[in-house]
Amino acid sequence: MPNSDKNKEFLAEGNAYLPHIAVIEKIIEETPDTRTFHFNFKDEKLRQEFSFSSGQFGEYSIFGAGEATFCISSSPTRRDHFEFAVKRVGRVTEALHRLPVGAEIGFRGPFGNSFPLEEMKDKNLVFVAGGIGLAPLRSLIWNAIDNRKNYKNIGIIYGARSPQDLCFNYDLEAWQKDKSLNTIITIDREDPGWKEKVGFVPQVLEKAAPSAKDSVAIVCGPPIMIRFTFPVLDKLGFTPQQMITTLEKRMKCGIGKCGRCNIGDVYVCKDGPVFSYEQIKGFISSEY
Amino acid sequence: MSIIKKIDKKDLGKLLEEWKQNFKLLTPSLQSGIADFTEWDGKDTSFTDWYRNTVIPPKRILLPLVENMFSYSKGNEGYRLETPPLDENKQLVFGIRPCDAKAFSLLDMTFKKDYQDTYYLNHRQNTLLVGLSCNDPYASCFCTSLDSSPSDASGVDIMLTDIKYGWLVESVTAAGEELIQNTENLEEASEEDRTEAESNKQSALQKISRHIDTKDISEKLHKSFDDEAFWQQISAKCISCGICTLLCPTCYCFDINDEVTVEGGSRYRSPDSCAFSVYTKMPVENPRSDKWKRVRNRVCHKYQVYPMLFDEIACTGCGRCIRLCPVNWDITQTLESLPSSEVKDAK
Repeated sequence: MPNSDKNKEFLAEGNAYLPHIAVIEKIIEETPDTRTFHFNFKDEKLRQEFSFSSGQFGEYSIFGAGEATFCISSSPTRRDHFEFAVKRVGRVTEALHRLPVGAEIGFRGPFGNSFPLEEMKDKNLVFVAGGIGLAPLRSLIWNAIDNRKNYKNIGIIYGARSPQDLCFNYDLEAWQKDKSLNTIITIDREDPGWKEKVGFVPQVLEKAAPSAKDSVAIVCGPPIMIRFTFPVLDKLGFTPQQMITTLEKRMKCGIGKCGRCNIGDVYVCKDGPVFSYEQIKGFISSEY
Repeated sequence: MSIIKKIDKKDLGKLLEEWKQNFKLLTPSLQSGIADFTEWDGKDTSFTDWYRNTVIPPKRILLPLVENMFSYSKGNEGYRLETPPLDENKQLVFGIRPCDAKAFSLLDMTFKKDYQDTYYLNHRQNTLLVGLSCNDPYASCFCTSLDSSPSDASGVDIMLTDIKYGWLVESVTAAGEELIQNTENLEEASEEDRTEAESNKQSALQKISRHIDTKDISEKLHKSFDDEAFWQQISAKCISCGICTLLCPTCYCFDINDEVTVEGGSRYRSPDSCAFSVYTKMPVENPRSDKWKRVRNRVCHKYQVYPMLFDEIACTGCGRCIRLCPVNWDITQTLESLPSSEVKDAK
C-alpha cells in the first residue's frame, strides 16, 4: 500500500509529537453518539498546503483530555475543510463531543499509508462498510466519485444496527441519487417504516453478489463484520489481494514508536492502517 | 587506534571531579537500597565496591519517567503551545555496563530512524558513555548469546576494565578519544596493564554460565505464533506485574497523557508496559486481553519483530527480567523450549 515520506512535511517544528492548532468549523450529529467534525488549520499556510491521501489518519488533541486517533473522513479532492467522525466511547471522545463550533483542537498528521488508488484504476470498486466504519471509506468513495472516469462500476453496501445508527445520511442520499453508483443500505433487524434492505452486511453482500472480475473490495466496519465479510468475498471469487481493509488499534504516537498497535510484526500505524487481506490473513484471527 | 590510559583507584575521585566540571556526571548509587544512575554527589566513589549492575536500567536517562513534551495555555488568541527548551548540557554516564550501552544502540533504531524522536535525540546527543567491563556477571546474565560480552565496547565512548589497583581506560569513539586527551587525571598505561586487562576480560567471559541458542529463533517464533497451548503454558505463572518491561534496558513502550494546571496544562510521556491489559484496550475490543497474548507479544517483539525491522535482537542478555521477576519467569527457558518446526509441521 502506498506510504510516502510526504507525511513528514507537515510536522510542527519538525517535532512529530507537537500538534498543529485547528479550529472546529462545523459539527454534524450523525447518530445520538456519533458526530462529524469539520475543521481547518489556524495557520494560513497550512490551510493552503496541507495534503493527505484517502485512508490516512491523524492524532487529534483535546488539550487537557488527551489525544485520540481518527481517520480523515473527508476526501482529499474536497479541500475547503477537513473532516473526521467520532463515536462517543471514552474520555477523549466524550471531551470532543462537548466541544462547540469554534473550539480549538490539536492535529498531528497525516500518518499511515493510504488506499492503493493506482491499483484501483480502471477496476470495479465494491465498498462494504458497517456503522462508523464508513468514515475512512467515504474519503475514498468521494475521491472516486470526483475522479469517476478512473473507475468502472462502483457499488456501496452499507449497514448499521438500526436506522438511527446509520451515519452520513446526507452521503447515502447523494449516492442513492447518483445513477453511476449502486448503493445498498441495510439494517440488522426489521424496523417500522424501514423500506430498504434488512440483514447483516456480509449476508446482504452475498445476495448482491458483485462480480470479482476486475474488482477490488474495500471493507471497513466492526471487527466482527470484517471477520464475516472476507469469507463471503472469498466465496464470490475475490482473491486475498482483491480485498482491502483498514484496521483500527489503540495508538498513542501514530509513528511506530509507542509500541501498542502491532499485531505480530505488523504495526497498524506505520505499515497500515490500509492492508490487503493477503497481508493480514495470517494473523487476523489471533489478535484482531 | 584507540588511546589507552589508566586510572588508579585512589585517584578515581579526582577524575570524576575533573569530569564533573564539564558534564552532568551520573554514577551508580543506591537510592533506598536500589541501584540506579544518579548525579554524582562529588565525593562518594564507594560504588566501585558494590556495583555489579543497576536495578534501574540506564534507559531512564534517555526515556525519563516523565518527559514534558509541551505545555499549553489558552489566551484571547486561542491555544499557545510551548515546547521545553532543548537541554544543551552534556552529561556523562560513568560505569554503564556493556549490555546497557548496547541497549542504547538498540533504542536508537526505533527513536532515530524514520520519524526522529525529538526528545530522545536531545538526551542521546548530549550523553557520553564511559563503560565499565563486568568482572562478576550474574548467574542470570546471558550477553554472550547475543553477540556481546562482559567487555563489549561497541556501545560506549570510553571503556574501563579492571586491573590491579585501578582501571585500564580505552577510547572507543572519537568523542571518547577527545575526552581522554583533554583529561588530566589519567596516567600512561603499561604493557603489563594491558595484558592484565585482557586476561580479566577473558576470565569474565568464562563466568557467563547461561547460554541460549539464538539461531533460527525468529523463524521458530514465527512458526509458534499461533500455538496457543505453548504460550498458555509459558505464561501460566506470569502475574502481569510489568516489572520485566519497566526494568528491561530495551523496552521502550510509552504512554502519552495530559496534565491540567490552573494556567493551562502540559502533555507528557511516561513508560508503559505491554504486560498490562489496558495497554491495548479499545472501547469495544482488546486484542491482547489474554495474558498469553501479552507474554507472546513481549517475547516476539524482542526476538522476532526487531530482527525483522532492524536485523538485531532487542535483548542484551542483561538478565534483569530473570533476576527481578517476582515469580521467577525466565525468558531463556521460554526461548529454549520453543517448539521446533518439525513438531509444528506434524500438527
